[in-house]
Amino acid sequence: MAEHLLEPDSSRRGFVNWFLGLSGVAFFLSTVYPLTRYLVPPQVAESTAGTVTLSIKPEDVKANSGQIFKFGSRPAILVRTPAGELRAFSAICTHLNCTVQYRSDLSHIWCACHNGHYDLNGKNVEGPPPRPLDAYVVNARGNQIVVSKSA
Amino acid sequence: MGVSASGLAGLLLLALLAWPGDASAQAPVDKCAACHLETGDERLAAPAKAFDGDIHKAKGFGCVACHGGDARADGMEAMSPAKGFVGKPSRQQIVQFCGRCHADAAFMKRYNPSLRVDQVAEYATSVHGRRLRELGDPKVATCVSCHPAHNIRPPSDPKSSVYPVQVADTCGRCHGDAKYMASYKIPTDQLAQYKTSVHWKTMTAKGDLSAPTCNDCHGNHGAVPPGINWVGNVCGQCHSLTADLFKKSVHAKAFAEMGNPGCATCHENHGIQTPGDFMLGLGDKAVCSTCHTAEDKGGKTAVEMRALIESLSAETEKAGAILLRADHAGMEVSQAQFDLNGAKDALVKARNAVHSYMVAPVKQEVEAGLAISTKVYARGVRAMEELRFRRVWLGVFLVVILGLIAGLVLKIRETDRRPVAGSPPKH
Repeated sequence: MAEHLLEPDSSRRGFVNWFLGLSGVAFFLSTVYPLTRYLVPPQVAESTAGTVTLSIKPEDVKANSGQIFKFGSRPAILVRTPAGELRAFSAICTHLNCTVQYRSDLSHIWCACHNGHYDLNGKNVEGPPPRPLDAYVVNARGNQIVVSKSA
Repeated sequence: MGVSASGLAGLLLLALLAWPGDASAQAPVDKCAACHLETGDERLAAPAKAFDGDIHKAKGFGCVACHGGDARADGMEAMSPAKGFVGKPSRQQIVQFCGRCHADAAFMKRYNPSLRVDQVAEYATSVHGRRLRELGDPKVATCVSCHPAHNIRPPSDPKSSVYPVQVADTCGRCHGDAKYMASYKIPTDQLAQYKTSVHWKTMTAKGDLSAPTCNDCHGNHGAVPPGINWVGNVCGQCHSLTADLFKKSVHAKAFAEMGNPGCATCHENHGIQTPGDFMLGLGDKAVCSTCHTAEDKGGKTAVEMRALIESLSAETEKAGAILLRADHAGMEVSQAQFDLNGAKDALVKARNAVHSYMVAPVKQEVEAGLAISTKVYARGVRAMEELRFRRVWLGVFLVVILGLIAGLVLKIRETDRRPVAGSPPKH
């Protein structure tokens, strides 16, 4: 009779132990998995950022001038054309990956490494660069300039 | 087939108007093609078949525009010399034959205002033109050698024999044929060499049609081999900064005196390969060692320049590698990666400065680059130290947490086993 009475208590304790054990394993895995992911992160080749916001007032960018800014980890160039239009391009020369610059005296973009010239549409017009600079979309938003890889 | 005198006069007038005439004056009925296709003689049918793809047909010109005759007449009457028929021009006649229209600016404007009209004049300055005029050489190229008659397409047409990618093969049909070129005693490996070059790879693998092919260095209608003294000018059309450095260097004068062809002395002419640091110095593949030794001033300069460039190259690579490791490990190093571009720029400039053949300009670029790469590397080291710090202390923290949990479990068990005061003893 006493054994019969003990049976339900024993099975309840077994169930509680099993449940606690399972919870413990779940807790352990839920701790170890993110920890492992942190210690061995996935390979990310480059920033996938598609937009960058520059803390530059649009009116502070003078006509016939250009400045280099950081787009992810890569250089890009913001240009205000002599006609007053804001434009942005990748600043990586398509010849040997040097950083290009704006030449106010020529009113276009120039690469100092091998004298490559690009017009204000980013098109390679002189020297060894084989193709145009990648063009970005520029939007003036209040006191900021937003540059995006595509519209 | 009877034709009245007035009718003949009318046809003659029509033929004169049509040759080298206006497309609008062409006869609407072209019996030339119909007849040539019906003969069953492939030799006669081939021009008529090919002409469908010809730019002249697209512009409204028929056979009589070049060959004269009467496209509306039947049989041999269409090819009557009385109707201006000239048939197939001889090799000597071809240039003037095409030039009747192509050297006439007023006429060409009506079809393509931007097309040059100096091809005949240019051809006269070419080796082909001079040999034809002076020696009557029957093997030299004329207009139709490169622009196949009856299937002439504009250079912008990918099917054209003068489309940039096709130019090398077009020239190579003669210049790559050792048997055909045997009497000229010039090399015939230009095509094979060119197809190993960086220019050919750029054009075909990267699809850059602005990469140079035969005519960009030799001219097209005025094709000649570049003179020893002006090879640098030819290369300088694209590589202007390098050409400027070379012109001011000691090598410009020395090469000219030795009869060496400027840039091509070190970089070859047709088989120009991607240049590398291995070309500099006195190593196995170094081009400097062709003339210089370790004892002379030039050799010492070359070795010193190579050492400088290699030091910057190694430092830049080292900095790039540590930043990449830090980046992959999740550290924010984009600013350092951005700054490293300055060192990479300096390396490219230093490699270009080699063409001054002086240590000082190379050293100036290398020192600027080393200053950047050293700073960037230090930032990479700091990022890796920060990463190590975070990992170690995360481990310590986890050990403490797990220890705490284990302690709590033990404590709870101990508490459960301890008899509670007033409770009945367990059996």
